[in-house]
Amino acid sequence: MKRQRENAIVFADPECCLGCHGCEMACAVAHSGTGLHQAALAGLTLRPRNRVVAAGGVMMPVQCRQCEDAPCAAACPTGAMLQESGQVGVREKNCVGCKVCVMVCPFGAISVKHEGTDPENCRTNGGIARKCDLCAGTGRDVPACVEACPTKALTLVDLEEYRQTLIEARAAELAQSLQHLKSRKARI
Amino acid sequence: MTMKLSTDPSAATLLPIAKKEGISTVWDRHRAMQPQCGFGQLGVCCRICWKGPCRIDPFGDGPQRGICGADADTIVARNVIRMIAAGAAGHSEHGRHVALALQGVAEGRLPAYQIRDEVKLRAVAAKLDICTEGQDIPAIAAAVAKATLEDFQNQDHDAPCNWIEATLTKKRLERLQALHVLPHNIDAVITQIMGRTLVGCDADPVNLILGGIKGALADFDGMCLAIELSDALFGTPSPVITAANLGVIKPDAVNIAVHGHNPLLSEVVCEVAGQMDEEARKAGAKDGINIVGICCTGNEVMVRHGIPLAANYLSQELALVTGAVDAMVVDVQCIMPSVSEIGACFHTAVITTMAENKIPGATHVDFKEETALENARRIVATAIEAYKRRDPRRVNIPDFKQTAIVGFGVESVVGALATLNAEDPLQPLIENIANGNIRGIALFAGCNSTQVAQDSSFVTMAKKLAANNVLMLATGCGAGSFAKHGLMTQEATLEYAGDSLKAVMTAIGTSAGLNGPLPLVLHMGSCVDNSRAVQVAVAVADKLGVDLDQLPLVASAPEAMSEKAVAIGTWSVALGIPTHLGTMPQVTGSAKVTELLTQTAKDLLGGYFLVELDPNLAADKLLEVIEERRKGLGI
Ligand code: SF4
Ligand code: SF4
Ligand code: SF4
Repeated sequence: MKRQRENAIVFADPECCLGCHGCEMACAVAHSGTGLHQAALAGLTLRPRNRVVAAGGVMMPVQCRQCEDAPCAAACPTGAMLQESGQVGVREKNCVGCKVCVMVCPFGAISVKHEGTDPENCRTNGGIARKCDLCAGTGRDVPACVEACPTKALTLVDLEEYRQTLIEARAAELAQSLQHLKSRKARI
Repeated sequence: MTMKLSTDPSAATLLPIAKKEGISTVWDRHRAMQPQCGFGQLGVCCRICWKGPCRIDPFGDGPQRGICGADADTIVARNVIRMIAAGAAGHSEHGRHVALALQGVAEGRLPAYQIRDEVKLRAVAAKLDICTEGQDIPAIAAAVAKATLEDFQNQDHDAPCNWIEATLTKKRLERLQALHVLPHNIDAVITQIMGRTLVGCDADPVNLILGGIKGALADFDGMCLAIELSDALFGTPSPVITAANLGVIKPDAVNIAVHGHNPLLSEVVCEVAGQMDEEARKAGAKDGINIVGICCTGNEVMVRHGIPLAANYLSQELALVTGAVDAMVVDVQCIMPSVSEIGACFHTAVITTMAENKIPGATHVDFKEETALENARRIVATAIEAYKRRDPRRVNIPDFKQTAIVGFGVESVVGALATLNAEDPLQPLIENIANGNIRGIALFAGCNSTQVAQDSSFVTMAKKLAANNVLMLATGCGAGSFAKHGLMTQEATLEYAGDSLKAVMTAIGTSAGLNGPLPLVLHMGSCVDNSRAVQVAVAVADKLGVDLDQLPLVASAPEAMSEKAVAIGTWSVALGIPTHLGTMPQVTGSAKVTELLTQTAKDLLGGYFLVELDPNLAADKLLEVIEERRKGLGI
């Protein structure tokens, strides 16, 4: 059996976030297939897959958590949402834009608004589900938002590594207290 | 890595040393700053009130208006014209400073200065329509200073500034007047830009940009008066052979780097250094005092006195890393605040001199024209003291320097042409343009920017334009690039110029007594000296009875960064000159402003911005523009 890993996530540290929206812009441009100035000059409508919000006295971007038992994937009637390559992916050509996933996502991480010019009098509105894909397919090592954040508020978290670090840190603490206990015993 | 950051060979030698010593340079800071904010790059971030900051989502999903209701067009336009105002302020402060000095000399109050070029002073007076009959030099100087200072004082909105009126073609003045963009008072126009961009004022992007153009033309006015009066005070540049790049620093001399823009200080430092040479030798420097230039102060003393140029903008820090600069004396503009910290890593005394331009950690000598000699003596003495602390083991002077023939003001260009045709000096130039031996003229201006590998765009473009028989002029740090890379030599003309250009340059150079061709790129001076190039163009246009926007003349700032470059580029467009930018201007967040500057301007003014980051393509595009203009003239 293949070894199971949790999906990686982009973690935002609200202590560091300045609310500059740089991560949103980087996300939008990274998925545009072109550069910042070119996209602006061409008047492209681009949508970031993350959203910076201010709530509860903090600021931070919110994006898809790449759920392990993803409500969006469970709800999707066409099977467009599914676990693939370490994230919850969207098979865009299967998506009909029914917005069920939008309603069930606990994080509001999905939008189905179309990108591009306004489709008037067309068969389709062109909207399909879009969400954080950890920049898969944009050819970068680090997600664009993580790279863009000037205060390093964002990290791409590999849960395995993260857990390992936690475990080791706690074990080290335990080892220390154990030593204390031992030396106390010796004194008694 | 190093080579991608700069094509200056000195950088390759010195950056590893900086790294080893733990000194961070402009390139390290550039890297640390990546990636840079997209909103800022597009110009859609507004910080002009404390309800903000506001930023427009350029991609249509987020906010389309700031809290006050300003949209991307308004915000971009306001931001860019504020840059123009800052650029114009810088140049015109420089101009005012020189004009006040001229007034001081006229009144006999400034013993450190004299009128070194009386011919020029008379020419300036004639240009400004000042009657000089029976007047002595101080009286003429006083009248010229007065007429000049009027450009800062006139309150009649319909009367254009004296200098701009005396400088442009009639047709151009009419065209600018019709658009209501002729400045009447430099200070007023700059203030107007600040006023109209205040929260809740001008929101019309077209109106804002027109206001910016007026500000840019005020910048032009300030530049014209600054250089012409400097010529009267310090002498008009004439061709001189010198050298450029950090190899001009001498291991056995007290090296004083003059850096910034204003000749008022550096001229006196040069003079006093000559008198104090013996003291330097006594301190152990067997080669005495060696003055080298950086940035445009460097260009000023280079074209007037043949003082060698050590560095242009991006390599100013590297001059300090040589460990052999004993004092860096700075005045205004383009001085990286990091120099004081780097100077402190060595024995170097970094000396600021202007009351409104101080740097934490630097020594300040309060320079005043009245006490210029005394101030300069203190500066040179500080340098000699610092020399005694120099650690010879930390000296690393790169073995790079190139010969440069510099100092081509209007007078010397016309003078060289006059050796071919004394009656009508411009005739040979016009003839050669008309018959296609010279396809056109390109003025290279502007800075270095960390967005471009230092000097690379200048050099690439120049080689291509030269091969296509384009005559090239350069100023500012662009001129510095060419000088450092050996393109201001006769050899460069022989190597890179197309056949017909080579023949013309050889004919002029030979008859002017240079024993060979003119250098490939003509060094016109510092960035304020861009107006010199305009004077040549105006003379040619007047002679042909056409306006500037018909000439096969282009401008290029391939590595632009300063607000001054924004102002210069904009007046260049306003004068009818197609103007290339090789770095991305921060306006692309507004389609309207971008269109105004790159397209609509063409109809309104004849000039326009042409943005192309690839220097090869940029050269091609400029060549196309030149051919289009030639076709328009039927040549
Ligand atoms: S880029 Fe960083 S600081 Fe800016 S909004 Fe996003 S998370 Fe916050
Ligand atoms: S879109 Fe929402 S529900 Fe679907 S995986 Fe992401 S966070 Fe979970
Ligand atoms: S002036 Fe308007 S757009 Fe600018 S910061 Fe203030 S509210 Fe925002």
